[in-house]
Amino acid sequence: MANLILKNLCKSFGDVVAVRNLSLDIRDREFFVLLGPTGAGKTTTLRCIAGLEKPETGEIRIGENLVNDWSAANRDVALVFQQYSLYPNYTVRKNLEFPLKSRLRRLPAKEIGPRVQKAAETLRIAHLLDRRTDRLSGGEMQRVAIGRAIVREPRLFLMDEPLSNVDAKLRELLRSELRGLQLKLGATLVFVTHDQVEAMTMGDRIGVLCEGELIQVGTPYEVYNSPHNTFVASFVGAPAINLFDATVDGEKIVVVPEKFEFALEPATRARLNQVAGRRNIVRVGVRPEHVNLVAQDGLAGTLYGAEDHGVEMILTISVADHLIRATSPATTRIPVNAPVQLAFAQDKLHFFDLETTKNLAVA
Amino acid sequence: MADLDLIDIEKHFGTNWVIRKLNLQIAHGEFVVLLGPSGCGKTTTLRAIAGLEEIHSGEIRIDGKRVESLPASERDIAFVFQLYSLYPHMTAFENIAFPLRALRISDKEVREKVRTVAKVLRIEHLLNKRPSALAGGDMQRVTIGRALVRRAKAILMDEPIGALDAKLREEMRVELRRLHIENNSTTVYVTHDQVEAMSMADRIAIMNEGVLQQVGSPTEVYSWPANLFVAQFVGSPIMNVVNCRLEAADGATKVRFDGMQTPFQFGGEVFRRAAAVGHEEIALGVRPEAVLVELAERPGYVPGEIHIIEPQGAYDILDIRIGKTVVRARTRSRFVTQLNQPVWVQLDKTRTHFFDKQSGLALPGE
Repeated sequence: MANLILKNLCKSFGDVVAVRNLSLDIRDREFFVLLGPTGAGKTTTLRCIAGLEKPETGEIRIGENLVNDWSAANRDVALVFQQYSLYPNYTVRKNLEFPLKSRLRRLPAKEIGPRVQKAAETLRIAHLLDRRTDRLSGGEMQRVAIGRAIVREPRLFLMDEPLSNVDAKLRELLRSELRGLQLKLGATLVFVTHDQVEAMTMGDRIGVLCEGELIQVGTPYEVYNSPHNTFVASFVGAPAINLFDATVDGEKIVVVPEKFEFALEPATRARLNQVAGRRNIVRVGVRPEHVNLVAQDGLAGTLYGAEDHGVEMILTISVADHLIRATSPATTRIPVNAPVQLAFAQDKLHFFDLETTKNLAVA
Repeated sequence: MADLDLIDIEKHFGTNWVIRKLNLQIAHGEFVVLLGPSGCGKTTTLRAIAGLEEIHSGEIRIDGKRVESLPASERDIAFVFQLYSLYPHMTAFENIAFPLRALRISDKEVREKVRTVAKVLRIEHLLNKRPSALAGGDMQRVTIGRALVRRAKAILMDEPIGALDAKLREEMRVELRRLHIENNSTTVYVTHDQVEAMSMADRIAIMNEGVLQQVGSPTEVYSWPANLFVAQFVGSPIMNVVNCRLEAADGATKVRFDGMQTPFQFGGEVFRRAAAVGHEEIALGVRPEAVLVELAERPGYVPGEIHIIEPQGAYDILDIRIGKTVVRARTRSRFVTQLNQPVWVQLDKTRTHFFDKQSGLALPGE
């Protein structure tokens, strides 16, 4: 296994900048997730690492080697795609053997068998070795595709949305399976996805991309709890964070344009004063789990909608024409349109700049 | 608005059964979601109600009147598909007004009706735009507007928000539910997404392989699943289902997973319920939030080890190894931070389920 360094990577397609001056330091044995919406540049970045795209500028280092001019085959990285791309007429065994028989590697025959067996056991597909791949279920096919990457014992695993074609239940199982596998192998893995749940649950660290730009790199905890800008704040987390614009008026926050206001606790006021500078208007962010229903002295609103998710309720509360989302215990029973009062856990409020969208506590 | 009654509906393609003996009563003003994996028969059922699909036996009643032999156009039912199916050359206004044009009502009345619907859907400002100028969510709002405008007896929706991105889907869920409350229209909604079903339905009807598995409120199907299929189809992260051995001991039941040293202790009735079914093979089902985790030893808790930590932001999911089994637990964020750390685990007895593995059914007497 190896570490991976990207330095000032740039890649355009015609007038479209796909990757903008991207620098990244991925550690040996790290599970690193590139997260972003369609068109963010995550797949292009992955393809640059694999050697399938050539960046205009920038360096790619795998381990000790600058690999910019190396062919894809020479980079010794294994790529797993969304499409399984298995040979349908071959058995699982043949599919797994294939990469070991390539001209580049051409392993001695007596080494191939044990390697295939070991990979198959790791993935719990040893009982399927003699089955044709077109007779496999989706989850099994995905395991074979991953197995084909494992047998090679590459320096680096690259995966492009490998779980997005399987159903929700299987995806959940494969998520923890893949993470367990990566830990067991001690593999360096770069994983591309648009699904924030996958990123949060599997990554040691996440790199969030938007329009070709790397916006934040951090652990799942950091990305969720200290988002660098409003894009990261709303892209990560479900139900999504509440965002509203507010003027800072001495001791209280006044939300615009449909006004409602609430007093700031001394500690929050101090924190806001410290970061707000001369701004008199900020964007406030608060996650649904930090919006609490209270019996009195809260912000008055009415219940607009209530979703029973079994484990908890997700409430949508209308306050002066703003819709604010809150989570509450599964036992909450409030009729729609009933008056409610809410309060924010003020130590969890985020403040963002209106223009730059940056988190004021981070900038 | 109307009641819908499905009685013993069956449909098959050759020997391939699509719907088997389906019985479902939908009350006036109710929002019922047909939930299941692809190929379970939910869309065929919906299309049969609409008259787009013939059934081989059974009755479909709308307000008590049998409609199996009526063509779709005479059933007075509105249908919303996943694809927007708007007329590209017409504005949003004209698209919504389209079903009214056949009714020979005055232009003024048409305008009023369209505006009322547009207001509810928050698309008043988009009425002059053509579909090509609209975003996905707005296009779907227009499609729904077209279904609502003529006040049909029931509205049927087939994965109407499946094609939208995650955030928009989250918003549309709330809007659709809200719309239902305001219009009180009898709604049958098809989806494979259990989150949509849980968050919008008055009642959920879960189907698998053409067979209705359970009908109940979101709370009912989540908290008292009738069988293993429902138990694992509803809820995310999915319910832990673990093979276990039961042993009667001094009026209590010892429950052991594979390779587990110390058993979980349950009341004696668990063993009796299992014995009543007469099967040896029992599966224990417990949702991650009903798996209780402590960092220090406690009476009644059994030892486990952290296998994987899956942060979800607001909370963490821990994969805990107990014996040879991995069980997932929901804890507050950062409750555990070290892999391989020893922990102590207990199951919330009131939220632990037992299933007969052969039939898949929950043991009676829960």
